[in-house]
Amino acid sequence: MATPQDTPFPPSPPAESRREFLAGRAATAVAGALAVASLGGCGPASPPAQEGSAARRWGMVIDLRRCVACKACVASCKSENKTPPGVAYNVFIEEEQGTFPYVRRVAFTRPCMQCAKSSCAQVCPTGATYHRADGIVAVDYEKCIGCRYCIAACPYGARSFDYGHDYIEKAGNPYNEIPSSEYGASYGLRHKGGSPEGNVRKCTFCLHLQDEKGEYREPPACVRTCMGKAIHFGDLKDPEGVCVAHGEKMQALLAHRGNYRLKEELGNEPAVYYLPV
Amino acid sequence: MSATTRRGFLAKSVLGGGAAFGLSSLLGARSSEAFAAEVDRRYDIKSGDWIPSCCNMCGGQTGILCQVVDGRLVRIKPNDANPAGFSNISDDFFANCRTEGASMCPKGNAGIMTLYDPDRLARPVRRTNPKKGIGVDPGWTEISWEEAYSEIARRMKALLDAGTPEALLWWSEDHSFTHIQGDFCQLFGTPNYSNHSNLCDTARKASFKAVTGDERPLMDAIQSRYILLFGWNPLGATKWSLLPRILTRGQERGAKLVVVDPYFSATARKAQEWIPIRPSTDGAMALAMAHVIIRDGLYDKKFVEEWTHGFDRFSDYVKDKTPAWAEKISTVPAGTIERIAREFATTQPSLADVWSGPGQHSNAVHGGAAIACLNALTGSYDRPGTLHLPNKKGNAHGHLHADKPKAPRFADDNKLYPMFHGSGVYCEIFKKLAEGTGNYPAKMGMIVFQNPMMSVPGTETVAKALSNLEFLVVNDIFLSETAQFADIVVPGTLFLERYDWNTQWVTWPVLALRQPVVKPIFGQPAEYEFICELGRRLGLRDQDGKEFFRIGALSGRPVESLSAWYEEYLSSESKNGAPKMTLEEIKALPGATWVDKGGTKYEKYRKEMSTEDLAKATCVKTQVGGIEVEQLWDKPKDQGGKKIGTRIGGKAVKGFATPTGKVEFVLTCLTGKKDAEGKPCADLPVYEPRDWQPDAQYPLYLINWKEATHTHSRTQNNRWLLELQPGNPLQVNTKTGARLGLRDGDQAWVESKFGKMKVTVHLTEEIHPEVVGTQHGFGHWALGEEAKGRGSSDSGLRPTRADPIGGQAMHKQCCVRIYRA
Repeated sequence: MATPQDTPFPPSPPAESRREFLAGRAATAVAGALAVASLGGCGPASPPAQEGSAARRWGMVIDLRRCVACKACVASCKSENKTPPGVAYNVFIEEEQGTFPYVRRVAFTRPCMQCAKSSCAQVCPTGATYHRADGIVAVDYEKCIGCRYCIAACPYGARSFDYGHDYIEKAGNPYNEIPSSEYGASYGLRHKGGSPEGNVRKCTFCLHLQDEKGEYREPPACVRTCMGKAIHFGDLKDPEGVCVAHGEKMQALLAHRGNYRLKEELGNEPAVYYLPV
Repeated sequence: MSATTRRGFLAKSVLGGGAAFGLSSLLGARSSEAFAAEVDRRYDIKSGDWIPSCCNMCGGQTGILCQVVDGRLVRIKPNDANPAGFSNISDDFFANCRTEGASMCPKGNAGIMTLYDPDRLARPVRRTNPKKGIGVDPGWTEISWEEAYSEIARRMKALLDAGTPEALLWWSEDHSFTHIQGDFCQLFGTPNYSNHSNLCDTARKASFKAVTGDERPLMDAIQSRYILLFGWNPLGATKWSLLPRILTRGQERGAKLVVVDPYFSATARKAQEWIPIRPSTDGAMALAMAHVIIRDGLYDKKFVEEWTHGFDRFSDYVKDKTPAWAEKISTVPAGTIERIAREFATTQPSLADVWSGPGQHSNAVHGGAAIACLNALTGSYDRPGTLHLPNKKGNAHGHLHADKPKAPRFADDNKLYPMFHGSGVYCEIFKKLAEGTGNYPAKMGMIVFQNPMMSVPGTETVAKALSNLEFLVVNDIFLSETAQFADIVVPGTLFLERYDWNTQWVTWPVLALRQPVVKPIFGQPAEYEFICELGRRLGLRDQDGKEFFRIGALSGRPVESLSAWYEEYLSSESKNGAPKMTLEEIKALPGATWVDKGGTKYEKYRKEMSTEDLAKATCVKTQVGGIEVEQLWDKPKDQGGKKIGTRIGGKAVKGFATPTGKVEFVLTCLTGKKDAEGKPCADLPVYEPRDWQPDAQYPLYLINWKEATHTHSRTQNNRWLLELQPGNPLQVNTKTGARLGLRDGDQAWVESKFGKMKVTVHLTEEIHPEVVGTQHGFGHWALGEEAKGRGSSDSGLRPTRADPIGGQAMHKQCCVRIYRA
């Protein structure tokens, strides 16, 4: 029988088996660790790279009154960053509360909090996770050895490991030839055994949508698509800073409704604020 | 490490991996850094072509912009020039869309995953196993397009030669290339063209048509102060991407949102008040609200007097429909009904809307009409913040020079259902096809972009019906459950590979273009090209002897390319429609969207007819509902005229599109009519219990609903959407579950007197204790590798039966028992 899977897509290179891939990855991890050790330092191996504009502190104000729990933010993130299965830069969290008929749903989207005092960067043994000048916490895939300490450390569950799974395994499928643009599209061409497979991955506020001066040419994907216009995104440093998607003043949003950050008590100082229902 | 060296390293690793990755054209780059720079440049968000189009992951047609690089779709984002992703009110759209930007739902965002879905059908297939049935392997063998065309055309030709074109039955989706399919059927000579709407909301259409004359009023939520929704879940069934914004913005501006629903739906979760109700009893609650509003004199007396018909009979009818009466029926406390009635009538502007929740039971049309009458009491039609009666001008379906087919419809559905909708009555057709009781033998079927095996109640009946066809052709992008019954399946296109016009679900005229953003990925013809090619092979001609599918609609000259022919067809529709522009002209507009600058108009019913129109009009004095009405027609009815106004209070005005020209508490269109089952129709919006109620054996109501993450039964192979929503566990009230000995996560059987399904139980406080329910669309046994075996389908638990007035499939009428598996 002719299966519908037999598509005339162009051929793709042979896929390495996962066992080989994981073995390769482990070897790299060991080598990476040795390399770090050989530099003779303990703690962060090298100073975090300074990227982005120091004049900015990018942040989000998420208005839960406007959020309708549609999860378009999660789908748009998948589409923009082309993250593989098991890698979620933002997740949608919901909880039922109350007793029939007096019930309510707690529901919110959870991107990376881009903490000023992040737990992830503190535990990273290679300095792969670093704070950019504009407050975005990024990962240098070359330095990341895939040890996943950061996953354990992050109090927000905002990081995931790229196990090398793919949504579409079919060789030659055009989807697999569309790169992820995070950190530049040339990084995002997925191939077995190469970064970002075997790395820990996270939301970057779509930093690849910044221009060379570190300003956003387009809002991050979740902000742009949000059906209730619930996610505001802008510079938290500038008292006059406006949401790059809808134009509201960020400080006014924070001032008028009351706001909170998740797990404030941990002192991570997230750059993501929520406005209550 | 500098960015440059890192990129250099990466590029090396890419090239070192031996990966061509479709970027082989770049391999000639002199250095790996040049390679990296080139990849970055090409896939930057500003690169490639950004092509405006319209989504069709559901029927909502939200505007999209598609980035195409090297012939591949890279990104989809909202199209700010199209109001469908922003607001249904023009002032709001014109003033704010540029600043705020439009939106898209998760399904639209996941379009790429369906486009490149590896389970898509790439080439035509023919079955080798003559036996048809659920779980029977058709033994597909691949055939060429030429073989597919010639066999399908040969089968069709045989019907023409035998003088029985009516033996061809045709089903299609309701938003995609419907006009050309209707034209094909008419030229071929079959009256049996039907489409999806009667699986959706034709009961709602009938309710509002009976009361207001308009079958699809739209809520103006953003300007409203009180939004009362009965069994409508706009934040779950985010059919138009503007819905979440207008509802939450309405609330931000002070509106109260109240949702009446057995399930704590996505919309109920955002409401200030959720009112759980027994399924199908919403009409009783609405009548009791009307009782309170009339009893306490809270209605808009001026509007009722000037613009409604039948108030006295209606108020007599609701005299004993007290909140206490409705409480017994609906379980909604009488005090709640009293309070909601007072709030609704005294908080202005208010609106009451209803959709498929109450709209898919045997009493759907009257229940919906009772809710529509609430708006009549408060004058909540066509004013800001109420239910708007939209100006739907858009593309014009060209007048076909061809006789209507002579044969009656196969199932007589158009005669049987007093408020028959042009989409047909699938249930009546499939039932008669299974039983062999149609007007004549049906021999051939054509199913385009529909999966009735999953979407029509009574799976066994549908299976039998499809098996009874001598020859079935299915056009779909997947080998769906329905395709398993086909003799030939031809691959269809996804919306990203084809054209269409879209009138948007907003209150003023807008026409937006869907266009191919990538070439059909298997080189397959779009559905309209497939139909056009068949029309050519059959040599179908119109009355003037013109070979319809070859002669360009605008040029009048032969057009050989199928695509070019269809482009002219579309162009004539926009040129002769409201935009008066060609396809190419609209393509060049921002966002490929024509937006009428005139914007939203209110209280159009008051508009006096121009002296010119009045001079040309034919005046028809007629008795309607016991009164004489002076109707004004553009030309006599027997010459194809349509009613354009009514003389009311001495003035010739547009009025409402009802027979009386007013909003009707007495449904004059039903006076003296019988329903499809021979029962006389009440001409008041009466409450009658639906005709399948829980009993000792099957004590629970079973309902279903939509969530924002999936569309009908067609997105369950989309990997991203499955990550958002991987299944559809049965929602059971915690107390009900405890009584039945069910624990959260249990496997259980849900059984009705017609069939059963296996489910995973989710115990929750979010559903009425007498009711269980699931999200519709799961439980596939074909379609694709991802879809198969996920969740449960409840289609087999109901009979193949439609509401007997509007012909709406009764997806929510079912009683069941549950026991652990």
